[in-house]
Amino acid sequence: MGKDGTDRDRASTQAVSRRTFLSTGAAGAAAIAGAGAQQAAAQAPIKWDRSADVVVIGAGVAGLPAAIAARDLGASVIIVEENYDIGGRGILSGGRVHLGGGHALQQKAGIKDSPDQVFLDWVRFDTADARYSDRDLVRVFADENVPTFNFLVENGVKFIDRPIGPERASTVPRTFLTQEWPIASELIAPGRGRNGSGLVRQLAVAARQKGAEILLQHEMKTIIRDRTAPGKVLGITVSHQGTMMNIEARRGIVIATGGHTGNVNFRRIFDPRLTEEYQQACQPYVYQDADGELAAMDIGASLWATANQTAEAGSAITKTRHIGCRWGYATLVYQPESPMFHLAKATGLTVGDWQNLIFVNQHGRRFWNEVDGSYKFFSAAMGYNGDTAKLNGGGPIWAIFDADAAAREKWTPSPPSVDPDGFFFTADTIGELAGKIANPYQKKPMSGAALQETVDRYNGFVAAGVDQDFKKPTPMYKIATPPFYAAWSTPILHDTLTGLRTNTNTEVVDIRGEVIPGLYCAGESQGGFAQHGLARCLVFGRVAGRHAAQRTA
Amino acid sequence: MTAVHEIAIEACEPTPQDVAAGADFSVKVRIACPAGCDLSGVAVIVTAPDGGVASVAHDERVDAPEGRDIRNITLTAPRHVGEYVWHLTVAEHEVAGARHRVGTLDVPVKARPPHETSLAVWAIPSPVVTGQRFALKVGAKSAAGCALKGQRIEIRDERGVTMASGSLGDSPWPGTSALYWVELELPAPGEPGMFSWSVKFDPADLEFPHEGAAARFSIAIVRPPEHRLTVKVIEQTTAAPIQDAQVRLGAYRAATAPSGLAEIMMPKGTYDLAVWKAGYEAPVTSVAIDADVTVEIAVAALPEENPDAAWQM
Repeated sequence: MGKDGTDRDRASTQAVSRRTFLSTGAAGAAAIAGAGAQQAAAQAPIKWDRSADVVVIGAGVAGLPAAIAARDLGASVIIVEENYDIGGRGILSGGRVHLGGGHALQQKAGIKDSPDQVFLDWVRFDTADARYSDRDLVRVFADENVPTFNFLVENGVKFIDRPIGPERASTVPRTFLTQEWPIASELIAPGRGRNGSGLVRQLAVAARQKGAEILLQHEMKTIIRDRTAPGKVLGITVSHQGTMMNIEARRGIVIATGGHTGNVNFRRIFDPRLTEEYQQACQPYVYQDADGELAAMDIGASLWATANQTAEAGSAITKTRHIGCRWGYATLVYQPESPMFHLAKATGLTVGDWQNLIFVNQHGRRFWNEVDGSYKFFSAAMGYNGDTAKLNGGGPIWAIFDADAAAREKWTPSPPSVDPDGFFFTADTIGELAGKIANPYQKKPMSGAALQETVDRYNGFVAAGVDQDFKKPTPMYKIATPPFYAAWSTPILHDTLTGLRTNTNTEVVDIRGEVIPGLYCAGESQGGFAQHGLARCLVFGRVAGRHAAQRTA
Repeated sequence: MTAVHEIAIEACEPTPQDVAAGADFSVKVRIACPAGCDLSGVAVIVTAPDGGVASVAHDERVDAPEGRDIRNITLTAPRHVGEYVWHLTVAEHEVAGARHRVGTLDVPVKARPPHETSLAVWAIPSPVVTGQRFALKVGAKSAAGCALKGQRIEIRDERGVTMASGSLGDSPWPGTSALYWVELELPAPGEPGMFSWSVKFDPADLEFPHEGAAARFSIAIVRPPEHRLTVKVIEQTTAAPIQDAQVRLGAYRAATAPSGLAEIMMPKGTYDLAVWKAGYEAPVTSVAIDADVTVEIAVAALPEENPDAAWQM
């Protein structure tokens, strides 16, 4: 679930603020302090400000189909979305929908596929993309591929009928792109192939047309659970422009909040290296703050299949491709016409050839072959760099290059391409460049002598044609022609690949293995299936909405 | 009979060991009479290294309980680098019916260069044939952006022998704020190999003193060429020529033309031939050069590293 465009680089405080809210009491019976405070006393009546059969938290790729599916079965639906607009990360995605099983577009392209093949592909033991997933969930995913594709088409989503793939664990092409939303003023990153806009915008249209109510800028704070057995969830507390309100969920609540990648404290549960210097893809539009996971865990929910997060497969950690800006995720550029540009501040310089630069750590030292983009590169970038005051995380990574590299890449190394406010620096000499690097995550000044030594040594490798340190394949270009540049290139985090435990109905399961009645989870906050992208969110969102709508009130 | 008291004048905290030439610095001193006489009206006479004399009156006392005895004295270092001594004196005087003898304190300070400099070396041809003359560019930058035009710069070989020298030009290198530069020509070593030479910069006679700087650079020296190597780079499935592929054989390099062809003049020998173009991969191939040789290299297109990146609208 996204935020309203403010810089929220303080993820670890979110849980604290939530608990502060609970202990100070701001919303009637929801504000009972102490352990289990989210569980309403049976005898304390709750004053509900709003009520619906199904309450969906998050208007993104999982939440929107959940809402539509619930409405299709006649349930009343309220979606709360903390951002100022719908879409979550889906609106910034490439719109690559990885659904197979033999749907109409696959058939049109002559691709033979089946639900069983989808299942067999995504439980493969020979790829970490599939190895650690919960096969019960994969079976549901496989069986729901074709119905979910049909659901999207029936709700007006338009695809480009050109198959892509096979991708990742899949053995046949399954990826089809949605068409970009045609209204430019309703795009976050217009004209950059962010075709996910056509998916979520259309699903939002369909949800509204079918009667789902979307409450924007409504931030879920807690999930209220009945303290009496069996402990059904009753509703949620929400903050809207400083005012607290209670929303009743008569049948079910669907957590579709979008994952935890931006929450430093939470993500370090799985990988302690992921300290604060690693930014989250799709910020500043969307902040994956683990609010759904935390609210559910507050009432006993369990995590599931956590190995997926650190399996070193897929796009959990990615190489920054648009360097010199804070958020340079591989395929996402906030151009000046983006409504987010005032926060993103720069487009970044898109790297076409990694031979044009070297990467150095905060001490001005190379650490790996720059053309590599594997998890070996990330491990080196996040390795201990000798900073005794910061043992976890690898600190900032800077791309160092010269005027010739800028010319080869056809870069204009000035705003709006770069953000000189801490993420891009220019100098006449290498030694001077090191002294200019100042950034909140650069804990110690970079030594000019160290950076000069690094560049001199690398230039020697270029002259000789051999990288004796890291075996960069035939280092091509010296870094010699002034002026010189340092551009933020710290790896950026993308996929949330683990989350809350659910059963095959997407009902959230607690730490003792018992279902929390009425609570559902889908999307990146759901654990158990590590497939990258939109498909798992769509499938399980739809499953969640359908099942929640059929619960007895 | 008039009492005679000794004046004690001492530094309250360590005085600076060195300061930037031309910069202000301060020392904090305590003036005290062992008999407890009030010396608040007594001036401290400062004699600067150049003989200049100034008086520090009591209105510059420190605002502290013991302030009547403590003075903050601001001094200015000379603009030239060197070691200097300031003499602080409390003149003989009478206070409260007692004669106070002269008290003195010397403040030695080293004036160091105020501005650092740094260097860049670029446009070095690679490789360079043994014994041939070649040119490169050298630039120097003052951290304060001072104009360094006319300053002398030297290039030395590994033994420290000066191989070339020159004076920095009148204007900065395009695109820089104050990198003054010069192109120097120098002779290549007579033997092949990798050499690491140095640049030495010792600025002098600037308005403000500057620290010197040194830098190193590598040069690849090779034997004279004997044969022509022609490399054709094609895409392996379509056989389409690949333009702008970088062809490398150790220190030798060339880029392919639109035809996919690159030519390199080389001496006899056996070399590892590597081809690089972003988005493609090619095996390293061993090539024996004993005559004019033509080699065809087929490269394979790589999938994009990120699944989202594969699609271009």
